[in-house]
Amino acid sequence: MKVLLVCSQGMSSAIAAKALQEAAQKKGLDVTVTECSTQAFAEEIKNGYAIGMVAPQIRHRFDVLKQQADAVQIPCVLIKPQGYTPLGGPKLLAQIEEALGEIK
Amino acid sequence: MFDKITTFMDEKLSVPMAKLAEQRHLRAIRDGIIATLPLIIVSSMFMVIAFLPNSMPAEWGITKFLMLHQFKILLPYRVSMYIMTLYAVFGMGYSLANSYELDPLSGGILSELAFLLTILPQTIPAAGEAITELAAQTPELQEYLSSLPGGFLMPMGNLGSAGMFIGILATFFAVEIYRFTQKSGFKISMPPQVPSSVARSFEALTPTAVVLIAVSIITIFLGIDVHSIVLKLVTPLISASDSLVSVLLIIFLSQFFWSFGIHGWSIVGSLARPLWLVLLEQNTTALVNGTEVMNTAAEPFYQWFVMIGGSGSTIGLAILFAFFAKSAYGKALGKTSFIPAVCNINEPMIFGAPIVMNPMLIIPFIISPMVNATIAWFATSLGLINRVVASAPWTLPGPIGAFLATGNDWRAAVLSILLIILSVAIYYPFFKMYDKDLEVQEHEEA
Repeated sequence: MKVLLVCSQGMSSAIAAKALQEAAQKKGLDVTVTECSTQAFAEEIKNGYAIGMVAPQIRHRFDVLKQQADAVQIPCVLIKPQGYTPLGGPKLLAQIEEALGEIK
Repeated sequence: MFDKITTFMDEKLSVPMAKLAEQRHLRAIRDGIIATLPLIIVSSMFMVIAFLPNSMPAEWGITKFLMLHQFKILLPYRVSMYIMTLYAVFGMGYSLANSYELDPLSGGILSELAFLLTILPQTIPAAGEAITELAAQTPELQEYLSSLPGGFLMPMGNLGSAGMFIGILATFFAVEIYRFTQKSGFKISMPPQVPSSVARSFEALTPTAVVLIAVSIITIFLGIDVHSIVLKLVTPLISASDSLVSVLLIIFLSQFFWSFGIHGWSIVGSLARPLWLVLLEQNTTALVNGTEVMNTAAEPFYQWFVMIGGSGSTIGLAILFAFFAKSAYGKALGKTSFIPAVCNINEPMIFGAPIVMNPMLIIPFIISPMVNATIAWFATSLGLINRVVASAPWTLPGPIGAFLATGNDWRAAVLSILLIILSVAIYYPFFKMYDKDLEVQEHEEA
């Protein structure tokens, strides 16, 4: 399963992406996490992702980003602030499962 | 009680304000300008190299070599950062057209057309008989005449930051015309059998004609110099942005948004970045021309003296969590967020500590950058450090970035280190309180 994380410039989301990747590996789940900037999101989300996740600090852009994801019928969620830290991997994973159901 | 107030302010004030910055025209400016940042950063490094001789002994071979070739070394800068509006306009037009679901490439090209029509090409008239006669007697004049380029020439001054505001207006004009012609059906439509790429190129004919004719009338036939008019209007705005009051206001706004967990710098930057670029470009131009560098508060000033470790000068807090935390959570957070903080990425701390909606940490989060800014402002205006002339990649560690951004001034690196120590001191009492709280919580849970 592919997950796309988006933040302002794709810098801080790289940290959250790493945390999510590690949390998924620990549970033996096949999850690939990529990060990108707001500007790149509309194009990147077309590349076969299961879900788009928006960083909390750009939540004022959530509506715009969600529209872009809706256009290709990909679910898009706003990351809860508690999950957006280097220690937040399990929380991110839980949020994905909340949105998509259990990951197999 | 505190929760209620913050939730209220978040829902009624900060999010709606932040959403304003998402208005499509503002977004287009932001996207267009951000797209030029790689150009600005890389060509800034050419500036740094060209002006290395300023900080090296004059007798070194490399110093002499660089001095000799300074003009050539700066040519890449002349076709990149020096004419950045030319690039930004394409990006802004692309983004704005895209937001209207119009063909973005046509939007970019139309905007570029409208912009360039405000800067007309010129020719150098051929030398008259009297000059040719004089030149026959003076070899120096002869050489000068033969060095003059022929054909049409484009004055480059307004293709740079000086033309930024006209660039923005030209983009809006061109794309709005494009949208109007598409929406009103005032366009050449093709039968459905025609391939869509061909149909699109025909659809762009009407807006192109309208833009071309309208802007030509203004600048060529009426002879109106829109650049000088707009420059008169924005000059007070530019000089106002370069004052301590505006610096503190900008920082306060950015920190206010961040306190709710919204990317304040990106919002404030959407509005202020055109001004910052003008300030920076005026500085680099002054440096290249050998005149006095005048402006203080271009974006690199904030980057290297205010937002050390990320918005809020949080490098101090990162050092405290990494080396002085007693609570288990604080230690774990410090370990994971210290390296990102060195690279000026602080979301791990903002959301991890958290600083967001945390009354204990919000106070130093707002005070620390404002104190740093005030000190750096006076250090700059007293001439203790050079003014910023280059844009270094923002993920460089603070002192290195400060050194590069000020045109290789080691004193700026020293100031950066002093500000880091000061930030540790300002965060310390609040950090102590919070760390203690965490420890107590951990005890209760255990």
